[in-house]
Amino acid sequence: MKQHPHTPDPLTLGGKTFTSRLMTGTGKFTDFGVMREALAASGSQIVTVAIRRVELRAPGHDGLLDALNWDALQLLPNTAGCRTADEALRVARLARVATGVNWIKLEVIPDARYLLPDPVGTLRAAEALAADGFTVLPYVQADAVLARALEDAGCAAVMPLASPIGSGRGLRSPELLRTVLDGARVPTIVDAGLGVPSDAAQALELGADAVLVNTAIAEARDPVGMAHAFALGVQAGRAAFLAGRMPERAQASPSSPTSGVVRLPDPEVPV
Amino acid sequence: MTGPATLTVNGEARPLTPGLTLHALLRDLNVNPSRVAVGVNDDVYPGARAPHRTLEAGDVIEIVRVIGGG
Repeated sequence: MKQHPHTPDPLTLGGKTFTSRLMTGTGKFTDFGVMREALAASGSQIVTVAIRRVELRAPGHDGLLDALNWDALQLLPNTAGCRTADEALRVARLARVATGVNWIKLEVIPDARYLLPDPVGTLRAAEALAADGFTVLPYVQADAVLARALEDAGCAAVMPLASPIGSGRGLRSPELLRTVLDGARVPTIVDAGLGVPSDAAQALELGADAVLVNTAIAEARDPVGMAHAFALGVQAGRAAFLAGRMPERAQASPSSPTSGVVRLPDPEVPV
Repeated sequence: MTGPATLTVNGEARPLTPGLTLHALLRDLNVNPSRVAVGVNDDVYPGARAPHRTLEAGDVIEIVRVIGGG
C-alpha cells in the first residue's frame, strides 16, 4: 500500500518555525516530574509560564525554570492575573527581565467568574507592548474585528478562547472562530476551554493554526497519556484541514450506487 | 506632620532605612537574586543585576519569579 507522503507543515510564529501545533501550559501539575513527562509526551515546543510575587516570608523560587530544557523550548510567559492594561504592561516587562524572553501571552482579565478578557484593555496593552519590541500573543474572545485590530497593532498571533479557562467545555462558538480565521494574517491559536483531544482536532479542522492546552492535560487521570492524546488530536485535525473536508448536506446522499439495486417483488411497494 | 518613611514591597508597607539600595533590600529580604525580576515603580531589573539604586519613600517595589501557569 502506498504511504501518504509526509508533508512538512511547519508553524511560523514570531519569526520562528515550529513543527508542533500543540502549546502546553505548566500550571496545575502535581509535580515537576509529571509535568516534564507530559510536556515530552505532548511534543510541545512552546510552553507557557506565569509570573508571581516571591513569598518574602519564605523566599526562594520553585525551580520551574530549572526543571525544563529551555534550549529546546520556546518560553511563553503570560500576564495571567492582570485586570488592567497597565498591570499587564508591568508584568510583561517584569517577565522579560525575569526570563530574558520577549514573547508574552497577553491576558487582561477583569472578570473573575468567567475569566473573560477585556478587549479594549487588551488592544491598548498590545499596542504598547508591540511598540516596545515584544512578540505579543493576545488572549481574546473570538471577535474578527478585534482580531484584525490586534494584527494591525503588530501582534504575532491572536488567541481566541474556545470556552472559559479551565472549563473543559470545548469549542462553544465555532461560527465565531470561523470569522476570525477568515482573512487572518497572523496565526490563530485557540486557547482555553479545550477538554479532550477531539476539541483540539475540531479547532485545527476549522483552520486554527495551533491550540494551547493546560488544565485538560494537568487534570487528566493520566496527564502523560492525555498529553500524548492531545498531540495526536492536533495532528489529526491539521491533517484533516489540509485534506479538505466534504461539504455538509441537509439530507442523506447514498455512498453506494443507486442503480442495479437487487429487488424482490413486493406488492406493497410500487415499482 | 509626616509618619515614618515607608516602601511598598510586594504589596506590603515596609519601613525605609535611609540610604537603603535596591541591591541591599534584596539581601535584607534574603531573596536569591537569580531567576527573579524586580520592579521599582516603572523600572524593571533582573534580580541578579539589581542596581545600587537608593530607594525613596513611597517607592513601589515588586519582586517576582516564574511559576507554573497557562
